[in-house]
Order: sequence, then C-alpha cells, then structure tokens
Amino acid sequence: MSPPAPLTVWTEPLAGSNCYLLEEDGACLIVDPNDPEGLPLLLEERGWTPELLFLTHEHCDHMAGLEVLRTRYPSAGVVATAACSAGIRNKRLNMSGLMEVYLTYHGRPGMTYPPFVCRPVETPYEECWGALWRGHRLLGRSLPGHTPGSAGLFLDEDTFFSGDYLLPGQEVILRLPGGSRSAYESQTRPFLARLPSGLRICPGHGEIYTLTPKERKQHGV
Amino acid sequence: MTNLERYDRIFLDTFSVPREKLPEIKYQGIPDWDSVGHMDLMSALEEAFSISISTLDVLDFSTYEKGKEILMKYGVEL
Repeated sequence: MSPPAPLTVWTEPLAGSNCYLLEEDGACLIVDPNDPEGLPLLLEERGWTPELLFLTHEHCDHMAGLEVLRTRYPSAGVVATAACSAGIRNKRLNMSGLMEVYLTYHGRPGMTYPPFVCRPVETPYEECWGALWRGHRLLGRSLPGHTPGSAGLFLDEDTFFSGDYLLPGQEVILRLPGGSRSAYESQTRPFLARLPSGLRICPGHGEIYTLTPKERKQHGV
Repeated sequence: MTNLERYDRIFLDTFSVPREKLPEIKYQGIPDWDSVGHMDLMSALEEAFSISISTLDVLDFSTYEKGKEILMKYGVEL
C-alpha cells in the first residue's frame, strides 16, 4: 500500500482555517483557498500552478482567496456543490458580512473585514462529484448541515478533507445562517459514521489526524 | 405581519424560548444566545428587514429590548 499523498497546509492567520495543497509536477490541487494574500505568495514561492480548486463549503474563511487565484490562474477549475456555489455569492451565507463580529468574539476585535461575494463555480454538483487528477482519485460528497453547501472530499480513499466537520476537539456548528440540524442528522452524520477507522482526516481547522474509535465517539459518529 | 411580530418571530425561531420570556432575554442569558446564536440572529434580522447592521451595533445588541432601539436606527419601526 502506498503512503498517503504528501500535503502542504496553509493556515489562514485570521480565523485559523486550513487550506490544503497537493502538488504534482508543478501543478496543484487546492482544497479551500482560504487566504487572498498568503496563499498567492506561497504558490509563487513554490512555483506551483493551481489546476483544480475544491471548496468544502461557502464560508468566507475557507474561500477568501478564491477570486484572487481565479484572476491569476484563469485556467484553474473550481468544484463545489451547487448550494456552495450559490452561497459564495451571498454575503449572508458566506458569513463575510459578519466576519468582523466573528473575529471580535474570537479575540481579534477591531479587525476590518469587508464583506465580499464570489462568482459561481465552473463545476457545481448536487450529491457527488468524481475525477481522476494526475493519478489521484478524487470524490466529493455533499454533506449539508454546517451549511447548505458543505461537502467532504476523498483523496485516494485514504484521506478525507472534512471541511468544518470532525474538527479536533470541537462540536460541529449547525446554527450559523443556513445551518440545519435535521440535514446533518439525516444525511451527514450517517455518512460520517460510515467513514473507516484509519482514514487520514484533514479538517478545516486544527491538525491533521487519523480517525480512531476515540475520535468517532467525540464527534458522535 | 407587523414589524414587531416579525421581530418576535425571528427570536422565537432562533432561540428556544416561550414568547412571554422575550422581554427579559439577553445575550448569554440563555444557552442558545451565545456568539453563534447571535450571528444567526443578526443575519436573520438583516435579511428580514433588508438592512445591514454595523459591527458596533451587532456587538451592542445585547437584549431583546436593546435590539428594538438598534433597529429603529435603521428605520425599522417596531
């Protein structure tokens, strides 16, 4: 069995969200382009060209760098659920309209965070999306609850980008605008409960970890 | 539906409280009205009344009654 694909993590300094990059021959896959400043600098420094961008959900702290990257790398395709594609165009659903308040509550009062929206994605999907990217198998799966447009992404069946689900030491948040406990309970939690132990979890915030029965219990899955 | 009825409905939909308790509820005075619940409440009010509440007013919005005063600033008659 081959080792999991090596990932680069870029953590956005304001909200602490994670962007994951997988590089192959100078091209890269980006999960959650979270930072309009640090991320482009990182790409320039490494000499990598984004080829495919995947959004785990519509919140601004996970996609604030999206439009900057689209402008710099117009051939890069963007994949997200159709609901996420709609959400990134809405300041309420993408939370950018309340980000200054969020930052105040998280110990960063006085920060300026202008609300913004993004263009719809090039490849929206409803329930599932799959592709082979430079030898890596990718499978996106709609997982509503945290937001209407939330999703998870499998990479090579040994890695799962969980967005704002399965965050280390945190309960899932279902009460932000567009959040739905019933969607989480009926669709997402049963799906998360079927994830195999041993899977590498790449959460939207916090450190990468391996899914074990202990983590399952903590997250109620 | 009047603006006041709409205002009350948003509180009742966002927090699990009986209507008669509304005048006495405050931020962090009930479990649901924490920072997450507050952002959900503000977002729902902005959408319902087609207004954009400033960050300072969002932070100042600490009780059901105080919220009425703040919405009046945005031309919402309650």
